[in-house]
Amino acid sequence: MALSNFDRRRVNGPEDSFAPVYAPQNDQNERDPFQRRKRGPLDVRPIFLQPGLITQANGSAYIETEHTKIACAVYGPRQSKNVSYSESGHLNVEVKFAPFSCRRRRAPLRDAEDRTIAIAVHQAIVSSVRLELLPKSTIDVFVTVIEADGIEGVIASASIAVSTALADAGIEIFGLVVSCSASLIGGGIWLDPSEDEVSCSEGTIIVSCIPALGTVTSVWQGGQIPPKSVVDAMEKCQSRCTDIHKIVAQALRGYSSHNPT
Amino acid sequence: MSTVLLSKAEKSYITAGLKQNPPQRADGRHLTDFRLISLETGIADLANGSSRISIGRNVNDNGGGTEIFAATKLEVESISVAETSEGREGGRLAINVSCSPAAYPHLTQITLEDYQHDLTAILHATLSHSSLHPNNLSIIPGKKSWLLHLDLLILSDAGNIHDALFLAARAALWDTKVPKTRSVEYKAPKSNITGSGANEASDMDVDTAATSGFSTRTHLTHATDFELPDYWDEGEVLNGRDRWPVCVTLNLVPPIHFLDATPQEEAAVPRRLLLMFSFPPSSSSHEPTLQAMRTLGTGELSLAQIKDLIQIGQKHALDLYTALNVKLKDEDVRRTLKAQERFASARR
Repeated sequence: MALSNFDRRRVNGPEDSFAPVYAPQNDQNERDPFQRRKRGPLDVRPIFLQPGLITQANGSAYIETEHTKIACAVYGPRQSKNVSYSESGHLNVEVKFAPFSCRRRRAPLRDAEDRTIAIAVHQAIVSSVRLELLPKSTIDVFVTVIEADGIEGVIASASIAVSTALADAGIEIFGLVVSCSASLIGGGIWLDPSEDEVSCSEGTIIVSCIPALGTVTSVWQGGQIPPKSVVDAMEKCQSRCTDIHKIVAQALRGYSSHNPT
Repeated sequence: MSTVLLSKAEKSYITAGLKQNPPQRADGRHLTDFRLISLETGIADLANGSSRISIGRNVNDNGGGTEIFAATKLEVESISVAETSEGREGGRLAINVSCSPAAYPHLTQITLEDYQHDLTAILHATLSHSSLHPNNLSIIPGKKSWLLHLDLLILSDAGNIHDALFLAARAALWDTKVPKTRSVEYKAPKSNITGSGANEASDMDVDTAATSGFSTRTHLTHATDFELPDYWDEGEVLNGRDRWPVCVTLNLVPPIHFLDATPQEEAAVPRRLLLMFSFPPSSSSHEPTLQAMRTLGTGELSLAQIKDLIQIGQKHALDLYTALNVKLKDEDVRRTLKAQERFASARR
């Protein structure tokens, strides 16, 4: 394949190319592995949330937590096409990574990990949407990850963005879903871990809940965590979710007061 | 993914039965009873480890039930610095679940592929986590390592697929034998470097076994390649094979939960909690650990409920783990006996 259009008259690049390997820049692990830099163990990264950036969508939201940047658009509810009659509505979540969103380029149209994230977001959101009110219809949710810093952060932020966009679209929900991730590092619990922190953690957990109702919609745990620490981490995530809920509510209120419909 | 479609009336009939006091299930089981599980290891001769599990097979005609084959296959992989090559120091695991279309006749090819992918994702994320990685998958440090493929094939699905998959995976990994390897290095024989006598020797076709450049001693500084010592036994078991987790699926109809749901019960009960527990060997003082937890389906739970369910799940998982361990040791004994009988009959 390579030989057929090999041009001897040009300077050809090497056959393989690799992403550069960066030297670790005074990594936190060198000084004190269990001391977090920049923020406390229970602090989450600052959240910027803006509903309604995508005007053609019924509802949309953009979320940014330091290096995680996600845009989300909601279309619908609209008629399900080519599907047999269903009594309750259908929530369709699709996640796409921009090719430049990660450290290594993500080739477009290879969606193995995308589907895993879409499933996690769907699981977090679906219990909050009143799909029984929308027979024969579909709600399409498109999530675009513009920049990613750890899969856990992406799932948590995407869930918040999707819930905000659903509220922005005026779709009936039981309550806003917010989610928070945590990781177990050296026996301590760090909330909202970044990609580097996840890579040196023993296990991670993502909790999605509806703070208004005090219910948990999804728990997603991996790694190796003793059951006691899991419960502890879930409690810490849930109390942090109450704070995040305020941010989401404020963002929605600020937006709707500027754009009365 | 339910394999049956139920009407509302059927669904409410099943949930009402479960909520009754005492609870009623269609097959007369108690809420926390499993159906009959049968397990066999070493069913694939060409695999490094294999198992076959069926849950709820009809004793009379051997029909029905969830049926899964699992097999591991080891492959030699080169380690290189290139990020494109996936080989890693210390080896790696690749896990794949495939569903036979016969098990899900009502699903289209696309939904079946998505379903396979979901099951693969959950098994791969849990089993290939670094905390469970066996440390004897290395061949030549920095050059070669084993790639462990674990393939699971679902032949039929009669409910409780996650538990069955993890049981099959644990049995196959338990059964896996890693071939023994020996590193090889080449040194230029000293006699070839100087002296005319050596030149004569190299011109002639002389058996040079005594001055061979190959060295296969155990401590080599520059191992370039490896060989398989010519032994009859198949190698050594994976390190830390006690740690492979078991999964319990708690099907939730608040306030009760039940285990080992049939397809009808799965269709009627939308909410499930998957708990994967790993139990360290009984000699060590470590506590059991949660290797993964997932919620499936719609509905809601409170944190206090989840806390209780984790405790209850741990108890059920320990029962399942103990039963499985007994069976696996039993299988080991059975197969060694079989081998001994075969050798004994061959000698006669």
